Order: sequence, then C-alpha cells, then structure tokens
Amino acid sequence: MASRTIEMATFYVGKALCGMDILKVQEINKLMDMTTVPQAPDYVMGILNLRGQIVTIIDLGKKIDLGATEMNDMSRNIIVNSKDEYIGLLVSRISDVVEADLDKVEPPPANIGGVQGKFFKGVFKTKARLIGILDVEKVLENDK
Amino acid sequence: MQQAATGKKTETETSLRVHVSLLDQLMTLAGELVLSRNQLLQSMSSEDHRGAEIAGQRIDLITSELQEAIMLTRMQSIGNVFNKFPRVVRDLSQSLGKKVDLQLEGKDVELDKTIIEAIGDPLTHLVRNAVDHGIELPETRRGAGKNPLGKVVLKAYHEAGQVNIEISDDGKGLNGQVLAQKALDKGLISEDQAKVMSDKERTNLIFLPGFSTAEKVTDVSGRGVGMDVVKTNLDRLGGIIDIDSEPGKGSTIRIKLPLTLAIIPCQIVMTGHERYAIPQVNLEELLRIPADQVKDRIERVGDAEVVRLRGNLLPLIKLAEVIDTESIFIDPKTGRNRGDRRKSLADRRSKKSPLFKDDDFDASPNQTTQAKSADTVLRQAKERRYHAASALNIVVVSTGAMKYGLVVDALHDSEEIVVKPLGRDLKKCKGYAGATIMGDGRVALILDVANLAQMAGLTSIEGSSRAAEVAHANLQAIREQKDRQSLLVFRSAENEQFAAPLNVVERIEKIKATDIETVGGRRVIRYRGNSLPLFSVDEVARVKPIADVEDLLVIVFIICGKEIGLLAIGPVDAIEFSLDVDGLTLKQPGIMGSAIINDHTTLMVDVYEIVQTLNPQWFENMTAATNPNGETAKILFAEDSNFFRNQVKSYMEDEGYQVIEAEDGAIAWELLQKHADEISLVVTDIEMPNMNGFELTRRIKGAPAYAHLPVIALTTLAGEEDIEKGRQAGISDYQIKLDREKLIRSIYGFLTSMQAAGS
Repeated sequence: MASRTIEMATFYVGKALCGMDILKVQEINKLMDMTTVPQAPDYVMGILNLRGQIVTIIDLGKKIDLGATEMNDMSRNIIVNSKDEYIGLLVSRISDVVEADLDKVEPPPANIGGVQGKFFKGVFKTKARLIGILDVEKVLENDK
Repeated sequence: MQQAATGKKTETETSLRVHVSLLDQLMTLAGELVLSRNQLLQSMSSEDHRGAEIAGQRIDLITSELQEAIMLTRMQSIGNVFNKFPRVVRDLSQSLGKKVDLQLEGKDVELDKTIIEAIGDPLTHLVRNAVDHGIELPETRRGAGKNPLGKVVLKAYHEAGQVNIEISDDGKGLNGQVLAQKALDKGLISEDQAKVMSDKERTNLIFLPGFSTAEKVTDVSGRGVGMDVVKTNLDRLGGIIDIDSEPGKGSTIRIKLPLTLAIIPCQIVMTGHERYAIPQVNLEELLRIPADQVKDRIERVGDAEVVRLRGNLLPLIKLAEVIDTESIFIDPKTGRNRGDRRKSLADRRSKKSPLFKDDDFDASPNQTTQAKSADTVLRQAKERRYHAASALNIVVVSTGAMKYGLVVDALHDSEEIVVKPLGRDLKKCKGYAGATIMGDGRVALILDVANLAQMAGLTSIEGSSRAAEVAHANLQAIREQKDRQSLLVFRSAENEQFAAPLNVVERIEKIKATDIETVGGRRVIRYRGNSLPLFSVDEVARVKPIADVEDLLVIVFIICGKEIGLLAIGPVDAIEFSLDVDGLTLKQPGIMGSAIINDHTTLMVDVYEIVQTLNPQWFENMTAATNPNGETAKILFAEDSNFFRNQVKSYMEDEGYQVIEAEDGAIAWELLQKHADEISLVVTDIEMPNMNGFELTRRIKGAPAYAHLPVIALTTLAGEEDIEKGRQAGISDYQIKLDREKLIRSIYGFLTSMQAAGS
C-alpha cells in the first residue's frame, strides 16, 4: 500500500510555520509596488498589477489573527487562485518544500500557537518542527 | 413563454455578424502592426533610439485604430432589441384592454454586444411598466380630455460620447407626494427627508430598493420585480438612470450608457500619493480656484462646504476625507510634497487681500503700526494660502440625480482605461467601481461617484436637510449678489481710502510725479501723443492732498467721451462689495457717501460730479427729453436702497427730468396708476421687497394702458440668466446702477425715439 504524499510549500507567518498544498500555489513573488486602497479592510495591504491582472494582497498574519507581518527582505507574496480570483498572501519568510505523508497528518487542535484551529486542515510533524497545513479557502473567507 | 425565449437567446449569442469591410480593415491594421513591431525590435537591438521612438509612435497610432476597429465589430444596433417591443406592447395592451401606440426612434444607434444583451431585460421591464402602470384605460383617458390612444416613445441617440435611451409615455405620470408617502410608510425615508425633497427627488424614489407602487405586483411587468432591479442592472453596466414625471401628463425615463463596458474614457486625478480614475460618463466639468479666490468662493452652509458656480451653490467633498487618506500639496518653496493640514478648504483666519502690500493695512489688531520687521514680511510671503500651489482643484461630477464637486490634489490627463474588477475582499469598499492598470504598470482605483456622495452623506435623500440649507443659502447668495457692486479701491494719501465704481474705469497707468506738467493751471500728462488731463479728489472735496511721492497711479475714466485721469497712489484693489453705503454722514461734493471696506472708512468718489465741477464746459447740453406736451418728462423710479435711490434720482433730476420715486415695486405700481398720464418711462431696481422688478415689469407690460412704457432695469451685476429673465418679462434695457452717463443716454434714447414714433 503506497502511502499518499503531498508536496507542501512551507512558510513562516511570524513565528508560526505553515504549509499549503503546492498545487494551490500559482507563484511566489518578492514584494512589489502596491497601490493602497483606502478604506479597505485592514488586512488588505493593497492591490497590484500581475501581468495585467489585479491581485489583492492580504497580510496573512493579520487575517489569521497573528498580528501584522513585518515587511522586509525576506517577506514574500504567495499568489493563489481562489474562486477565479488572484489573491496574494503576504508571509514573513519562505521555507522548504516538504513532502508530507498523508497518513501522518493529524487533525488540528483547537489552537496552534495562537491561531484558531479552523484555519487549518491538519498538522504535520517533521523531525524538528510542527507544520500547520492551511485551509486556504477558509482563510480567505469573509463572513462579515 | 419567457423561458423558451431565454433558452433560444443564449444559443444565438456565440456568434455575430460583422461587415466584411470591417474585417478587411482589421487585416490591414494587423499588417501595419507587424511592420511597426519589426521596426521597433530592430531599433531596439541596434540601440537606435530615434528609430525606436518613431516605431513607438506608429504603434501607438495603430493600437488606437485597432482598438476602435475591434470595438466596432462588437457593435450591434439597438434595433435588435427595439424590434421585439412592438409585439410586446401590442400583446400587453390587448390583454389589459388599453390602446397603446409604440414609436421607435434611433434604431440604428449602435452599442457594444454585451450591453445590448444586458439591456434587454431592463428595457422590457420599463416598456411594460409604461403600458401597465403608465397609460390609463381608454375611458379614463377620454375623461381626462386625452386621446384614448396612448403613446409610448422609445428613443435612442448618441450624446456626449454616450448612448441615451428614453422611454416616455403620455400616461398618468407619477405623483411625487404619493411616492414620498409610500416610501415613508415603508420606512425607506424619514419624515424630515420627505419634507425637504424636491419633486424630482420624490419621483426618483421609485428606484429605492424595496419599493413598488403597484397595488398588486402583476407578473405582467417583466421578470425582475421593481425599478430598483432595473437600476442595479444599469449600475452594473456603468450607466445612470433617472425619471421625470408630471402627474396627469406622463413620464420620461432617461438612461445613459457608456459605449463599451471594458474600455472607458476617464479623468485621472491624484490625491494622497495615488492616482484615481473618474469615468467620463460622470464628469461634468473641471474647476480650478486660485489660492487668492478660495476665501471668497468657498462658503460654509451648515457643516458642508460649497462653492459658487455660475450663480448656483455646489456642495463639495474632499476626496481625501471621504476615502480617509492624506491630502498632499506641493510646497512652493521646496517643490516637495507636504501633507495638507488645512482643516477646512477656506482658511478664514485672515481677511487681508493678497493685493494689499502695504503693512499699514493689516487688519489684525495685534500688529503695531511701526514698520514691519523683515521677518514679518517674510512670514507673510510664506503664507501658502496665497500661493498658486494652494489652489483648489475641483472635479464637478454628476450622478444623474445630483451634481457635486470633488476636491482632489491634482488633475492629470484624460485617458481611456481598461476596467478590471476588484477582488471580493474589496467589494465592500463602495467608493470604488473597479481598478485599472496605468501606463507605468501601477494600479489605479476607479471611483464610484454616486457611492462617494452617499459615503459623504451627500445624497439628496440622506443629506436632504443639508440640501435644503444649501438651497436656502443659494437663494440668499443670489440675492446678495444682486446688491454687490464691483469697486476699485485706492488711496490718494496715507490712511485715506477711496472707492470708485469699477465699471467706469478704463485702465490704470503708472507714472512718475515728475512727468506731470501744468498747463493753464491744470495738470496734464503726455500720453500716447495726447494730453491726458489729471485731477485729484482734493481739488473738489475736502480731503487730504495727493501724497508727495515719486510713483503715482492714474486711474483713467471716460466721461462724456473724453478721457480723464484720477491721481492715486497704491495699493489698488478690485473688490466685490455688498453695498452698505452711508449716503449722508460724509457726503460732500465729489463724494457720494462712505462705507467700511476692509475695516477702513472708504469714501465713495463721484467721478462724474468731480469732472462736472472742474470742467463744466465738457458737458454738452443734452437737454432733457420732453413728453408730447412739451413738458420735461416724468420718470417713475423704483428702488429700495435709500442710497441708490437718492443717488440715481439726483442723476436724473440733474438732467432736468422729474422723478417720481417709490421704495418698492408695489408702491411704484400704485403710483403708476395714480400718475398714469404723466409718466413717460420707468426705471426700476430688480430686488425689492413686496414686488420685485420682474413682477413690476410684467404688470406694466401686461396692462394695455402702460404696456408702451419703456422699462429700464438697474442692476449691480447682470448675470446672463437675469438678462434673459428680464427680456422675457419685457425689460427694455439693463443698466448698471452707478453708471450715470449710460443711464442718462439710455433714458434719452428711449424718450426721443418714442417721440419720433409719435406715441
């Protein structure tokens, strides 16, 4: 019985290490010139032009209640496609691509390092670290 | 029946007809584009900048032509949509027992395919509405004296780069009161709002979500229930809709649509550090108020700021405030951007006029009268309020139902932009209608003009209390304007200020005291080969003599067709002054009266009188015109301001006319009836209590006994609208209140021509 594995792109949101299905990742970019959108929700950093498409950049840290992400040389935008729209997630630092054995993925606890469990599909333990597998659609949800 | 039609519709949408000539044109353009692209690539690889520039320009041209041609392929004539309506109207009117005739106009008007498709449903709803709720039953129509055959006109036409569609009917129209009551009952508006609404605003209430005036919602009026759905559909297309109605007569619905959805022409503006785009469909005009006019033209009404534009007050919104961003202005000294800390648009701290350079005239009581230090002068120079960079840039926009001014930091070009939708996280930001990518790759937000107004609390519905205030202030402003006089303020000695009516000033010259010659006891100056006689106020009136300085000013007037110069010293200023003239206290020969201007007692100079005193030989005998009996003519004169009445009366009496004076229109009317046979001409002010000049004129012209009398209207500033209004009321001539010569000439002209006509 071959165990199913998925490849995950991992990244740091503040101090928390998160991961997401690499197939969901459109591309990863350095920070670019953004146009601020006054009066937008505070987690929206701005919008930018990605080869003719308007991409909304969201501070992932703010969105999952981990606090504002510091913008420096290491921060990156992870561009995902959600419901026919391009959205960029601002993260603190990109980490490795990790192959996760699906059997070893455990359901998420109610709270991981300050982040509500609902944002995660599960957790994956590697030798050294605990990776929270993000449920991207849940993260991007706006229930207001 | 509806469902089947829909199904069929979607299938035929996958292709369209295009004229072959258009396709040929596209081929040609494609070919040219290829050539220019090759040129560009070659120039780039050989680093030929000039060649690249030329190729780039060529590509610019071709791209525009290509864009236009492709847009044309998607254009379909609106006739495609219109053509189904005769059937619709016929069937509907039959089932309702009504007789309706449908007229179609402008079937050849072309629109983008997407818009044509999207407009079908809303138009159907509106046409059905017109038949169902608009046109009455034949018996009802006959009873109301109307033709039992009702008429519905569906018209399409191009105007100002947009497509207009009008649906008008001659049915029973909409009753604004009923609508307002309905909206009130449904809790859609408040009582206060209902009270201050204009009739047009009441009629447009039907577009509010949740509104439906039909007693029962019939499924006859189209699929989507309610006019609000129509409006939403049109909003999505970037169009605006509004309705005009007269109860008993009918209604007209007007729709304005952009030509295409995807590419729209916009005005680019800048606020904060960002650019924003305003769709041209909403753009009315661009207005710039120079720094030194800001204080005067920006006024406060309640807590709103407004600007006077051609006699009307326009509410203002600062874009930076509505969307909560920083406003930037360019510091004139350093050229750098600085945050604008002005809380209100017109900082009213100082009343000083920027033309006043003299320190003595500082209005602030704290200033000592000693010469200002260099520091103060420098500080005043730095006051950015008076710098051009502090000017206000206003974009006047319209949302169909209302107009307002949007204050931005800077205006950029007009551009055609591609509209891109905003992500779902930004859908909540009602102020934006989308985004676009500018030439430099950056993103700019497209503003939703109607929502911005709502956000600023400015919609006629939400801000109606303010609207009422503005309307009231508007009326007052217009009234006040009528009593404002244009004056030239100057001095002839230190601390003595004078004013003369600006309209009689020809020009102002700078001279040196040494240039003045004395010939035959009079002062003259050589000017353009002629001698210009000079005088100063102290020659006639008991005022200080002209200051003994080297640099003098000469204010040139034309009296009796001859030029004469009044000596003065600076500073001079031209102001509009709401006259509160005291015609008694300081009156003396040569001085009409006094007023307080900029905190200084100012003597109003009567130039005519001065010249008459000094050079009586100039005045030809323009004998007073006589009436048919050979007596000097009697003039009826209505004017409510004491000062003006006495002043102008003296002009006429000096000429030998007899004047019957009245303090207002009503009294004038009574006097006219009493002295009917004696009066040959009427001179009247416009703004008077009890009965104004227009009303008086109308009455005079309406009464056969008096209709022959010429009526001369006196005004201080005559706006175009007033002149037109006056002409319609029957006013024969408009004259400026303090322009004595012209008034006398006009009176003489009318009286003599009447005599000649043998009246």
